[in-house]
Amino acid sequence: MSFWDTDPGHLILVLAEALALLVPLLIGVAYLTYAERKVLAAIQMRRGPNVVGPFGLMQPFADALKMIMKETVIPSGANRALFLFAPMLTFGLAMIAWAVIPVNAGWAIADINVGVLYLFAISSMGVYGIIIAGWASNSKYAFLGALRSAAQMVSYEVSMGFVIVSVLLVAGSLNLTAIVEAQRTVWFCIPLFPMFIIFFISTLAETNRSPFDLPEGESEIVAGFFVEYSSMSFALFFLGEYANMMLMSGMTTILFLGGWLAPFGILPMLGPVWFVLKICACLFVFIWVRGTFPRYRYDQLMRLGWKVFLPASLLWLVITAGVLLATGTLPVPA
Amino acid sequence: MNWALALPEIVLAACGLLILVIGVLRKSDSAQLCSMLTLGAFLVTGLLVLTRPGGIGYYGQFTVDSFAVLTKLLILIGAALSLMLSFDYNDRQGIARFEYPVLILFATVGMMGMVSASSLMTLYVALELQSLALYVLAAFARDELRSSEAGLKYFVLGALASGLLLYGISLVYGFSGTMDFGVLAHALGSPAQASAGLIVGVVFVIVGLAFKISAAPFHMWTPDVYEGSPTSVTVFLATAPKVAAMALLLRVMAEPFGHLLASWQLVIEVVSIASMVLGALAAIGQTNVKRLMAYSSIGHMGYALIGLAVGTPLGMRGVLVYLIVYIFMSAGTWACIIAMRRQGLAVEKIEDLSGLARTDPGLALAFAIFMFSMAGIPPLSGFFGKLYVFLAAVQSGLWTLAIIGVLTSVVGSYYYLRIVKVMYFDAPGPALDRRPSMLGFVAAVTGVFTLFFFLFPGPLVAAAGTAASALFG
Amino acid sequence: MAPTFFFYLFSVVLVLCAAMVVSSRNPVHSVLFLIGAFFNAAGLFLIAGAEFLAFILVIVYVGAVAVLFLFVVMMLDVDFEQLRSGLQRYLPVGIAVGVLLLAELVSVLVGWHVHPAATAVRFAPAPAGVSNTVALGELVYTKYILLFQAAGLVLLVAMIGAIVLTLRDRRSSRHQRIAVQNARVPGETVELRTMALGGGVPVADILRPRLTQPDAIDDDPLEPTHHGGHHPADAHHAPEGR
Repeated sequence: MSFWDTDPGHLILVLAEALALLVPLLIGVAYLTYAERKVLAAIQMRRGPNVVGPFGLMQPFADALKMIMKETVIPSGANRALFLFAPMLTFGLAMIAWAVIPVNAGWAIADINVGVLYLFAISSMGVYGIIIAGWASNSKYAFLGALRSAAQMVSYEVSMGFVIVSVLLVAGSLNLTAIVEAQRTVWFCIPLFPMFIIFFISTLAETNRSPFDLPEGESEIVAGFFVEYSSMSFALFFLGEYANMMLMSGMTTILFLGGWLAPFGILPMLGPVWFVLKICACLFVFIWVRGTFPRYRYDQLMRLGWKVFLPASLLWLVITAGVLLATGTLPVPA
Repeated sequence: MNWALALPEIVLAACGLLILVIGVLRKSDSAQLCSMLTLGAFLVTGLLVLTRPGGIGYYGQFTVDSFAVLTKLLILIGAALSLMLSFDYNDRQGIARFEYPVLILFATVGMMGMVSASSLMTLYVALELQSLALYVLAAFARDELRSSEAGLKYFVLGALASGLLLYGISLVYGFSGTMDFGVLAHALGSPAQASAGLIVGVVFVIVGLAFKISAAPFHMWTPDVYEGSPTSVTVFLATAPKVAAMALLLRVMAEPFGHLLASWQLVIEVVSIASMVLGALAAIGQTNVKRLMAYSSIGHMGYALIGLAVGTPLGMRGVLVYLIVYIFMSAGTWACIIAMRRQGLAVEKIEDLSGLARTDPGLALAFAIFMFSMAGIPPLSGFFGKLYVFLAAVQSGLWTLAIIGVLTSVVGSYYYLRIVKVMYFDAPGPALDRRPSMLGFVAAVTGVFTLFFFLFPGPLVAAAGTAASALFG
Repeated sequence: MAPTFFFYLFSVVLVLCAAMVVSSRNPVHSVLFLIGAFFNAAGLFLIAGAEFLAFILVIVYVGAVAVLFLFVVMMLDVDFEQLRSGLQRYLPVGIAVGVLLLAELVSVLVGWHVHPAATAVRFAPAPAGVSNTVALGELVYTKYILLFQAAGLVLLVAMIGAIVLTLRDRRSSRHQRIAVQNARVPGETVELRTMALGGGVPVADILRPRLTQPDAIDDDPLEPTHHGGHHPADAHHAPEGR
């Protein structure tokens, strides 16, 4: 019936599924760091990592080994429990969100009714890892970073919420599979193009990526919220950030780029491949933006979130609803 | 569904949004314009209230009957009068911002919702709309410590009262399974069907609402908030919200809990007596006019509650007449208080009024009329207000209430008459500033009403009677 | 079996978290426990089959409200020991009120007599055949539309209140004017010069960048002369424009 009445066999199956998802995910995260360095290098006309392994392909593992070997330093004034909890939280949240992501029709660990809300809830909690890290470090820079990120992430969540609502309006469901299926005729990035742009930029802010990387802002507040972190606790933050990037790319793909649907019906049986390719395209844009744009000033960041994105997304939401209602295409949920 | 039932509220709220946008876009110098627009919105809404047909709508959550119409008109009049008084005052105090009329407007929307509520949920939401706007208004002079303190105090205690009210509502809902007034009245058809839990719930509801009308012993916030808030806000607090909260209390007690009269009558009696006694005694030692008026308002709510304690249509009629009389009398008094300004600074001590009869006979005369009326001296309107509630109490055999009421009015008239004495018999101090014509206008209108009410009590009392019987219909 | 187990798990943790919220000495810990309480409440909603409410609870309360709580509490510098100093004095009164309320509650519990109409509503299931998101939407937007809109007005008033009580137009702050910035062309700011070889900068008379001198900023914040950042463009916006 529901999850609460499942038998042990099903539980084992779920665990296996989770493993099958997480292992490629973690490898993907590792190679995302590599890809970022390579792409940035290409943008800056450098060669990037090329020493460890062929084309430097073993670089992520060398980095991981280095991180693991280092000593975990906990500042004397820090709140130990919270200090160690924060990176785990960040990393854990980035992982558990994948539970509802459908990689192909029916390929989701949990295909729940309110998948979008689940994703939104998880992504909105990402801020806690940062705030707790900043506070528990007992350091000025870390605290400043935490404050910045709290304000930033809460601000951009608002417009993200409106974007998601307009997607819901068009799709008529909160279920991720249903949202993808609703894009069979046309991907939502076409009719909802402005929302697509707003959403993508908001995901940049939500993942604290450049040009919205003020929480770490290395030129102003050293490294922001994780200035005190070292070794594995730092690595968890690092992995968490990249896993979050992948998650947000996955969300963008599902909400706007038709998920596993093949473009122009080319090779529709390769759903998961298309899904991964679309995520890679989004990730490339993430890195491209980082290589291209300077960091936003804080007031500009807030202005963009509250004075541009919020009204724009609200307006477009009203327009979307109006058009759907006027043309009689408002999806009626069963 | 008859959505047009709430048309006056919808129109008023829409006007509020519009005025807000105008205020924001014009940035500066928009306070006066927005106030004028708000007055216009009140006028339009008043006409709508008068002309729209009644009924019950929104799945039983909203009702429009003659009671609602009468109280809504009173609320609109109170809000309009206090807004008129605020024009000049806010300007001179440096708090003339367009948000002021907007907040007044939304508070009025909330109050209109309150008197039309026919479900505990509507009651709560509307009450919160009103209260939230009032909290902000109390702290409106944000650079003044007293005002901020008043706002904070009002907010904290108000939130507590809302919590109690909500707790009571949840108990009532838990024990009866409905929040709809009509269904509640039906379900509680006989006292036997009311369990102890439900009675506790009703008591909590009464406590929450008694706070909002500032009846003793839930009055603690009143003197501080009245004194600390900008006087223009105090005027508003002392007029429209009183009517709204009292009307709400009347409806809640008469409609859903009418059959439980025996259970709550004593509570209301105690609150009423406590308010009357406190209003009479605590005001004596006051030197600040605003504080004095705060205690006076507590006392007046006590008198009005007599009519509720009676629990008959006659008693409710008494309360409504009292409210009609009170709103004019109170607005007039506050018009006089707001005119107390010397060398550009607002003064609010009683001694500042000394010898006013010689320096400004017009103002002194108006003030004296209102003070006599507040004391309940015939043939002024205040006398009739008291007369009708005492009459109802006597007819229902509640002699204790009536006697205590008369005694406390005698005691209370001391401090009202003291003001008259200070104005007419004390040595004159420096003259007050010239008052703006708007204050004179409000004082004159309300003064004429107060003075000549005895010539035409018939139609108003009849309207109050119709409204009261609508509660029992 | 599993639902029962999880119900008690969530409930016990919820109550423990709630107790820690009030008893914890460190206010930041209190907020974190509060978040824990929200989570467990969401879990209870899930068990009850109200998944929409569960996630909205997490999104709104955990994702936004508690973040702001945490934000404020972290920046507070309150001596909580000092706040507790009155405890001894007010404890008797507090206990008296508490006992009174408890006695009332007990008397209510003893005299528990639920009206027949109430039992019918208590276990009212969601309408068959629709998910609870749809059921909730249909209720909120049809039956309770009046209350929904009124609640919206309440929030609007809260927002107006927050703005009116806190927003100060500081005239010394420099507003960014995007249009002005975008309208600038290189010719306005950049001057190309041909330099003589070996002459050095003094020859060209450009030892220092030429700064337009900003107006003296009037520090009196009460003076109501100009509002909303209408500053002379060239003077105040020089730093951003360059």
